[in-house]
Amino acid sequence: MTSIERAVDVAVVGGGITGLAAALALSDQGARVALFDAARHAGSDANAGSLHVQLQSRLLRLFPEEAANVESSLPVYLAAVQAWKVLDRRLGGVELVQKGGLMLAEGPDQLAFLEKKAERELRLGLDVAILDRDELAHLAPWLGDHVIGAELCRDEGKLNPLVANRKLLMALKRAGVAYRRCTVERLEPDALGVRVVHGDGSCRAERVVLATSWGTRALGEALGTIIPVSWEPLHMNITEPADYVIEHLVQHAERPITLKQFQSGQIVIGGGWKARFDSAHGTPEVLEGSVLGNTALAAWLAPGIRNLRVIRTWAGLNTTADGKSIIGPLDAAPRVIVAVPGDAGYTLGPLVGKIVADLALEQAPAFDLAPFRPSRFV
Amino acid sequence: MSMADEITLTFDGREIRTRAGMSLAAALTEAGVRVFREGPDGAPRGLFCGMGVCQDCLVDVDGRPNRRACMTKAENGLEVRTQIAYPRLVAKAVEHDDPVIEAPDVLIVGGGAGGLSAAITAAEAGAQVLLLDERHIAGGQYYKQRGDAEPPLDRQQAEGHMLFERAQQSGARILDATEVWGAFEGPIFHAIRGDAAVIVRPKVVVVATGAFERPRFVPGWDLPGVMTTGAAQTLWRSYGTLPGRRVAIVGNGPLNFQVADELRAGGAEIVVVAEAATTPWTKAAAATAMMAASPRLTVAGLTTTLRLMRRGVPLHYGTVATAIDGERDGLRVTLRDDAGHISHFEADVVCMNYGFHPQNEILRLLGASFDYDPARAQLICRRSDNCETMVPGLFAVGDCCGLGGAPAAIEEGRIAGCVAVAWVLGREAGVAPAGLRRLARHRRFQKALWTLFAAEPQRFDDIALRAPVCRCEGVNRAEIEGPALEQGIEIGGVKRATRAGMGRCQGRYCAQVLAPKMAAALGRSIDERAFFAPRVPIKPVEIAAILAAEEAGLDVD
Repeated sequence: MTSIERAVDVAVVGGGITGLAAALALSDQGARVALFDAARHAGSDANAGSLHVQLQSRLLRLFPEEAANVESSLPVYLAAVQAWKVLDRRLGGVELVQKGGLMLAEGPDQLAFLEKKAERELRLGLDVAILDRDELAHLAPWLGDHVIGAELCRDEGKLNPLVANRKLLMALKRAGVAYRRCTVERLEPDALGVRVVHGDGSCRAERVVLATSWGTRALGEALGTIIPVSWEPLHMNITEPADYVIEHLVQHAERPITLKQFQSGQIVIGGGWKARFDSAHGTPEVLEGSVLGNTALAAWLAPGIRNLRVIRTWAGLNTTADGKSIIGPLDAAPRVIVAVPGDAGYTLGPLVGKIVADLALEQAPAFDLAPFRPSRFV
Repeated sequence: MSMADEITLTFDGREIRTRAGMSLAAALTEAGVRVFREGPDGAPRGLFCGMGVCQDCLVDVDGRPNRRACMTKAENGLEVRTQIAYPRLVAKAVEHDDPVIEAPDVLIVGGGAGGLSAAITAAEAGAQVLLLDERHIAGGQYYKQRGDAEPPLDRQQAEGHMLFERAQQSGARILDATEVWGAFEGPIFHAIRGDAAVIVRPKVVVVATGAFERPRFVPGWDLPGVMTTGAAQTLWRSYGTLPGRRVAIVGNGPLNFQVADELRAGGAEIVVVAEAATTPWTKAAAATAMMAASPRLTVAGLTTTLRLMRRGVPLHYGTVATAIDGERDGLRVTLRDDAGHISHFEADVVCMNYGFHPQNEILRLLGASFDYDPARAQLICRRSDNCETMVPGLFAVGDCCGLGGAPAAIEEGRIAGCVAVAWVLGREAGVAPAGLRRLARHRRFQKALWTLFAAEPQRFDDIALRAPVCRCEGVNRAEIEGPALEQGIEIGGVKRATRAGMGRCQGRYCAQVLAPKMAAALGRSIDERAFFAPRVPIKPVEIAAILAAEEAGLDVD
């Protein structure tokens, strides 16, 4: 079915958290918005709802060359959590809890690493503290005795992404945003706007927001711009429900893990273990080593969860670039505005969505976007 | 029963005397317990599938939460408690037993008719065979052996007993009470047996995981006292326990009649048998075809039906259940016949079996191909004549490929066993032509049988708005109908939007109606991808078990 070519002020491509938030912000400001969502492999659909702020040890370890980039983004993460809190109120609750995040240490070296990290983070305005064994046992009695201390970052938290995604979609519907489940094939910019060619036809827009995470590479290339984003298939596990006692987001100074408990009582275990994804047509597959390694690590750190059963695992596509968000118009096509949040994209999504909505409506954004320019890769 | 067989356990502090060899579900049922756990909304839940699939008979055993009563052996001194919705996080120290690490020529998953037959053929041909069976009682869902040492009830059980004995003598190694939770490329299998990790790296695999029962999605199908016909049959045949005194049986197919007759003979009052198919007495062609294919089974079915009639058991054809309500002292099932006439029956237990759904999780995980059979509303595994799937070295036999019945499963097991050995030893397989002829005959019988019992499978649009579609998360049709369906999204989107399919049964029930519905909404044909993506764990698995597997793997490496 080919629809008649319609005109909107802004076409948002991508229905993950960034695109949804951008569409809502645009609609709030009176813009006519169309949102296009391929509805496949959106990282937001597989996200587990961590609100990250402190430097993730996983990223520092995997991509040491990006440490400076990640560190320079910390104030952005603080603002992102504020954006989530606004959205939480606006949407009538997405189970957002901000009790803080714990990064665990099992030995003096790890604790020393955290102390150094905390010093840097304090200077950048984060609310962090180092906890000793007793303080930690008081906050998190379900941890094993071998965890000797932790860094607590009070800015961190968690939310339920299923609820957030659903409520955002409902809010868009109420706002009258045209929502289309189809794949955008290419963008054809001209002097007056952009023609968005999609699976069901095409649509004209004055501007386009490209909230397409790893898919931005292909769409950007067609416009003559290299945006070196790639997918990173990651593994997650979830248990059956238990008494709600784990209030914090839990990570580790050296080992890849996130662990938290939803309001449903279910415990979600993740933290960057690998999954397999061969092509955009398949489904990300769960790997044996990740199921075993990730879950065993969680059981080692938090013995209290050992008698719960894992009821499901899944894999989703995280997007990585250089540790920083990619925000702003393309030099080659200034009416096309890229909106790819950096690592921990779900945390950053609402903030990045708001920023690009401002850009699309030619308003001054709240941040200096120079470090995030898409042209930095050229 | 000798005194030595007597055991005592407690349920919420109350003493329950029972016998060795019972399952917890049977012991509790015999003691009059109907409610095993509280659901997330506080609603009571009890025994439903009786075979480890639905996860509704969870109890706390000696401080370990979420143990399935149907899969747990009753043992002397156990402290059993009602499973609360949100158990406390207390690590019960679990000592892992030594891991079992095996690399057999042939791994067989499932110890029913097909799996045992495959094991016998492969082992007798000289292959090293390992068979894993999740139940602690041998024989699978057709042969349902006795939990105690009593002699077989009838010919069906005696046949199963002989098959099991032959499998044991064949040299095949059989591990009972071993649940496979992971299947990965390699292939490599992870299972748990008690508190021991089982890790198997076989050369070839025969999947013989059978089927589980289809429910009818009606209001009240999640009430305690509503169980599958097979669950009631297991209580009686394996444990000598009646599910209740007054029993209503609703469904589609011959199992319902057989179990009605068995429970009646055991002393239950069968208040009604409601069969969805129209009366068989006018379907001469199908009956003749059945007779030609298997006179014995045809006569057995006819005899059962006539005996039920003679004993005054009301048999209602062309009739389905539309609701089940909890009454003060039991349940009330509402029936509707094809003329729209409504009737009600009161019973202690409502048994339901609307056919079967293949347990194809391992096959899907390992990448086998499937075709969809709209008449039976299920995926049929694509196989060669040798029962090999489209994945080299992966064989599939019996009802996990689509329902074919136990006699066909036996022949398929023999064929797969024979070809699997040839595969391992790199020689030509010599499948007996007589076996192929018997298989063809059994398949003709099944085809005629289900022509006789032909009934429309329940579709999503037939479900009452207030009926639970996802019993785990308590999601009814109305909640799915709304925004999710309007958007025309695929099944994973429905899951994320409504939580249907997110619970402990891992979407096994709701997918049966959601997959065809969502494929139709998207204008796609139904294929394997119309169902929830296959994922480990195949069944919920205790984190302690995953830890055990990880530690065992470290030892190996």
